[in-house]
Amino acid sequence: MSTLEPIEPLEPLEPLDLPQPVDAPTVPRGSGRLWAEAFVRNRRALVGLGMVAVIAAFCFIGPLLYRTDQVTVQLDLADLPPGSGNPLGTDASGYDVLGRLMEGGRSSLELGFAVALTTTVIGTLYGAVAGYLGGIVDAVMMRVIDTFLAIPGIVLLLIMVSVFTPTLWGIILLLSLLSWLGAARLVRGEVLSLRTREFVQAARMMGGTGGRIVLRHLVPNAAGVIIVSGTFTIADSILTLSALSFLGLGLPPPHADWGTMLSAGLNSLYDGYWWLVYPPAAILIVTVVAFNLIGDAVHDALDVRLQRP
Amino acid sequence: MPLLEVSNLTTHIRTRRGVVRAVDDVSFTLEAGETLGLVGESGCGKSMTGLSLMGLLPPGGAVVGDSSVLLDGRELVGLPDRELRRVRGNDIAMVFQDPMTSLDPTKTIGHQVAESVLLHRGCTRAEATERAAEVLGLVGLPHPRERLKDYPHQLSGGLRQRVLIAMALANEPRVLIADEPTTALDVTIQAQILALLADLRTRLGMAMILITHDMGVTAGHTDRVNVMYAGRIAESTGTDRLFRGMRHPYTQSLLASVPRLDQDPSVQLPTIPGRPPDLTAPPGGCRFAERCRYATDRCRTEEPQLTGADDHRYACWHPTSGPLPAGTTAAVPRPDGPSPSPSPSSADRPLLEARDLVREFPVHGNRLPGRARRVVHALSGVSLELGPGETFGLVGESGCGKTTLGRLLVGLDRPDTGTVTLDGTDLGRLRGRELRERRRDLQMMFQDPYSSLDPRMRVGSILREPLQIQGIGTARQQKARVAELLTEVGLPERGAELYPHEFSGGQRQRIGLARALALTPKLIVADEPVSALDVSVRAQVLNLMNRLQAAHGLSYVVISHDLAVVRYLADRIGVMYLGRMVEVGSADDIQLRAAHPYTAGLLKAVPVPDPELERAKRGTGISGELPSPVDPPSGCRFRTRCPLARERCAEEQPVMRAFGPEHTAACHFPLSTPLADAAAGRLNGGGVPGSAGGR
Amino acid sequence: MTTYLIRRTGEAIVVVIGVMVLTFVMIHLVPGSAARATLGTRATAERIAVFNAANGLDRPLAAQFVTFVKQAAEGNFGTSYSLNQPVSTLLAQRLPRDAVLLGLSTLLALAVALPMGIFQAVRRGRVADHVFTVVSFVLYSMPDFFFALLLIAVFSVQLHLLPSEAPQAESVAGILADPRALVLPVVTLTLVSVAGFSRYMRSSAIGTLAQEYVQVARAKGLPERLVLRRHVLRNSLLPVITVLGLSAPGVVAGAVIAESVFNYPGMGLLFYQAATSKDYPIMLGSTLVVGVATVVGSLFADIAYSLLDPRIRYVDA
Repeated sequence: MSTLEPIEPLEPLEPLDLPQPVDAPTVPRGSGRLWAEAFVRNRRALVGLGMVAVIAAFCFIGPLLYRTDQVTVQLDLADLPPGSGNPLGTDASGYDVLGRLMEGGRSSLELGFAVALTTTVIGTLYGAVAGYLGGIVDAVMMRVIDTFLAIPGIVLLLIMVSVFTPTLWGIILLLSLLSWLGAARLVRGEVLSLRTREFVQAARMMGGTGGRIVLRHLVPNAAGVIIVSGTFTIADSILTLSALSFLGLGLPPPHADWGTMLSAGLNSLYDGYWWLVYPPAAILIVTVVAFNLIGDAVHDALDVRLQRP
Repeated sequence: MPLLEVSNLTTHIRTRRGVVRAVDDVSFTLEAGETLGLVGESGCGKSMTGLSLMGLLPPGGAVVGDSSVLLDGRELVGLPDRELRRVRGNDIAMVFQDPMTSLDPTKTIGHQVAESVLLHRGCTRAEATERAAEVLGLVGLPHPRERLKDYPHQLSGGLRQRVLIAMALANEPRVLIADEPTTALDVTIQAQILALLADLRTRLGMAMILITHDMGVTAGHTDRVNVMYAGRIAESTGTDRLFRGMRHPYTQSLLASVPRLDQDPSVQLPTIPGRPPDLTAPPGGCRFAERCRYATDRCRTEEPQLTGADDHRYACWHPTSGPLPAGTTAAVPRPDGPSPSPSPSSADRPLLEARDLVREFPVHGNRLPGRARRVVHALSGVSLELGPGETFGLVGESGCGKTTLGRLLVGLDRPDTGTVTLDGTDLGRLRGRELRERRRDLQMMFQDPYSSLDPRMRVGSILREPLQIQGIGTARQQKARVAELLTEVGLPERGAELYPHEFSGGQRQRIGLARALALTPKLIVADEPVSALDVSVRAQVLNLMNRLQAAHGLSYVVISHDLAVVRYLADRIGVMYLGRMVEVGSADDIQLRAAHPYTAGLLKAVPVPDPELERAKRGTGISGELPSPVDPPSGCRFRTRCPLARERCAEEQPVMRAFGPEHTAACHFPLSTPLADAAAGRLNGGGVPGSAGGR
Repeated sequence: MTTYLIRRTGEAIVVVIGVMVLTFVMIHLVPGSAARATLGTRATAERIAVFNAANGLDRPLAAQFVTFVKQAAEGNFGTSYSLNQPVSTLLAQRLPRDAVLLGLSTLLALAVALPMGIFQAVRRGRVADHVFTVVSFVLYSMPDFFFALLLIAVFSVQLHLLPSEAPQAESVAGILADPRALVLPVVTLTLVSVAGFSRYMRSSAIGTLAQEYVQVARAKGLPERLVLRRHVLRNSLLPVITVLGLSAPGVVAGAVIAESVFNYPGMGLLFYQAATSKDYPIMLGSTLVVGVATVVGSLFADIAYSLLDPRIRYVDA
């Protein structure tokens, strides 16, 4: 390890044009500041974020304030319309629908986040490596993705689910296996354009290794696309699980999530039990809209072509 | 009555940050047949003025107040869009800056030119196409009739700009607004396009508004000039008087800070400190006061109005009387470095030596079986030598291979054949870890200040990164070094806490330089170090580069398309053309005693900010377009554009011959006689022009 | 362009091989082997051995793969054991029906989404843009099956305007002869795709509107209507073509749901029924067909792109 050669500072020759003091104390520090600024300027993202916050509070804090029995089946209390005691009525097993929405929301959100997280990590690394290395490696890695993308996700899912009995973790794993493909493609595209940027060449000039360049420069700069793909993945996973439930290949009872509740409710749509259909449908749609709003807003904010003064 | 009379033109643009007063109370007139220059740095409102006249403002933009634009006595402001459309493209036409993005990629050029005719002339499609061919011929497009069906991407930048001009001129407008029409083009093509515009103006008798930031272009191609600053006109007068007897300090500083070919390189360039004001809240007094060397309290509180005689108006409380005299505060002598540079031919070994570098890139996606592999000949046998503390300048037009050469010199790319030797070590033999460690001697300064710094890292981390990678010093030492580096490039230490986007372009270039310095390299390759910067900021960066070289005994390779920049920084200059070095010599050799016709043509094409000199040399540039580097001409590659070319030039590749102690050129019919005892040619067998350092 | 097409076709072939490998791997993932799947769970070891030998399942995997590829190329995907018919016959019956349903709905979706996207781009940030944005977000975020059932609840159950079941005719002509029954399935699939396409068209058109050549067109004095038609439309459409090619799997996914809801006798329904009854030959056969169709679809999209974009058409042609 060499030591520093001292260098003599020279006097500045010309008056300095000091940068404006933009780091006002109200703005959070750290690289989060860049994000914070971008977010505050973007009303669509804020609305989406607000909606997600309210829904998360409903699912995770709600049960502390509104306690219901979601364990014991009480057939004598089945299919009660909304009224005192049960603001949104009860379902076919006698569970309180409002309480069930909170419980189901928890697993829907957890599933969405878990899938988004695994997907993001795998997809980011795969995409970044393919994009950075380029050439033959990239071509092979991309054909693998094309192959998996050629078969519709739901088709693969139905095959796998018909072969293996689904569990929550199994479904998370399966959904992740299907969703990282899109993330990898997006990240690769971004990295392909980033790697020609001069700061990446500068890092090479300093003697930076490939790993360092990918992790310190490429991945942080692709953060925007990664967030976009992550939020879209949350929304898509919740929707896909609901489709599986509708096709009767979702998670078996007593598991609850919004998709399962909705599919179950739809069976009694024509009996006039509307409280089993519309509440889960509404909250499911609102949640998916919220995540899509965030993703779309971040996407627009990143697309230079869409910028305006 | 003037052809165009603009009075009190004020344009506001609503943005998220507030209302930008892009054009503020601008008045001027334009007579038939004259060219008016709108000159200033980016953001001064010159382009917005043009767009306001056309009624083509961006979303949120509007012409407000009692603005008036009279064309032949007819008021255009407030005209319904339907009426205004008849004026656009018919009476007033516009040529935009970037020929690469200004043509619809999915329509043929014939279609795009005819569209304009069809719209205003009420003729048949056949007649419109006929007219399109005629106009394309007028603007000098070779074989216009056959090219009507060409798509834009099949044409070079220069030809595309000709198509755009044809589109604008198709209906013989009375006013042509040319917004930086040559900024995106090479100097030789720039000279052709400017000459074309001047010629067409006379032939069609139209008036022209030439919007430009280039004082050289202004000097040669305008009759009168409006200098704009922060949305207002600072000074307005005839071109000759502006250059000889300007009254506004901004004009004075702007002109003085431009490096000129005849600049004394031993004298520091005067600079303009600071940056233009924010136009959402312009300052109360004179807008230039903050950056003005003559500013007083009155300037900061009271806004000066345009005063003076009709033929020379200026807005200043303390008008100057002409250019900055030599030997003022600005003319500080350049500090001398520890190793007095201009004598690299000293006994010691050169720091860097490149031998017969060849680099070819495959043409993308073209590997059909049975067809020869096609390659871009980026470098075809280039050699050069560089001594410690020396600055070598590389000039040439885009596609000449200068950037490829720069990348090979620092080891960012490897040559197909040939060697790069640094201090006796062959860079091509180094691999992995060894190469990474060697990098500390070789650094690079990049062109684009917006892409050369990682936007997600603080400046402190950016400057520490090279030290971390190379494992130099403890964390504390590294931090101290960052502070030193910032001080050295004239930035405050607290800058380490900020992100790149919080700095201006010039400041970012300084950070880039500081990063290159962090490892105390022996050589810095600077690829177009100032071409992305505004004129007033360039001088600051150039001065800083000189100062740091003197302080650290650095060697530079400066790559630029701008001969004046290279002339100002370099001890020796290499001129490149299509992958070959055509002439190497001391800066004076190149400028005063150029032997190669290409060098001479290049020198003539560079616009000089002096109206008399600039007008005297009209029509003497290099003709034609750059041939494709995929299929370069045989023999001398310059022969297709050379006024002196003969048969021999096509048959035999010229070798480097000596014209002076350090002056070599590769030409069969040079402009001066080579030294009788020239041995350089025989030393370099195989017909490869080599030994650029030739001695 | 030739070079581009050759390279692109090469890539497509590689991906088709990949799809085959993937399908082949899935066959071998089936628990209890193909023999059990075919002969039923109570088959004796002896019968399994006979079956394996008869079907070449005792040979090395590589050899089996070659056989699999050969059979697949001949259109031989085995026999469905729930319907007791060759899979290829079943698929051949149903593919044309899907072509009708998916073709109609995709065309309709484009007819709605493209003008909508351009309109939104032009009106960007105004009320109309926001309204369409909200509508497309809600459409996009709604589970397909819920949307389909909602349509049935309103138009069939409440208003008695349209049948809730899709046409059951055997032939394509028979299906087209009953347009009323076709309305709800087609509308479901259309509206679900409209959201995605229009979003994409919007951002593509916004990008095009910011191009300098659009400004040049205006500077010629071209009316805005013509600027949009001549210069914005085609240039914004180009990237959408690629997306169209990539959206095929999504369309198929929608078809599985819509066909189950409306009981439309297409491949989606066949596949769904196979999945619930564990009819592996059908599942794998249709997977292969869908996979290859997707690859070919996106190849066609790229060919269309290269024909419409002179920058590709005229490169070393």
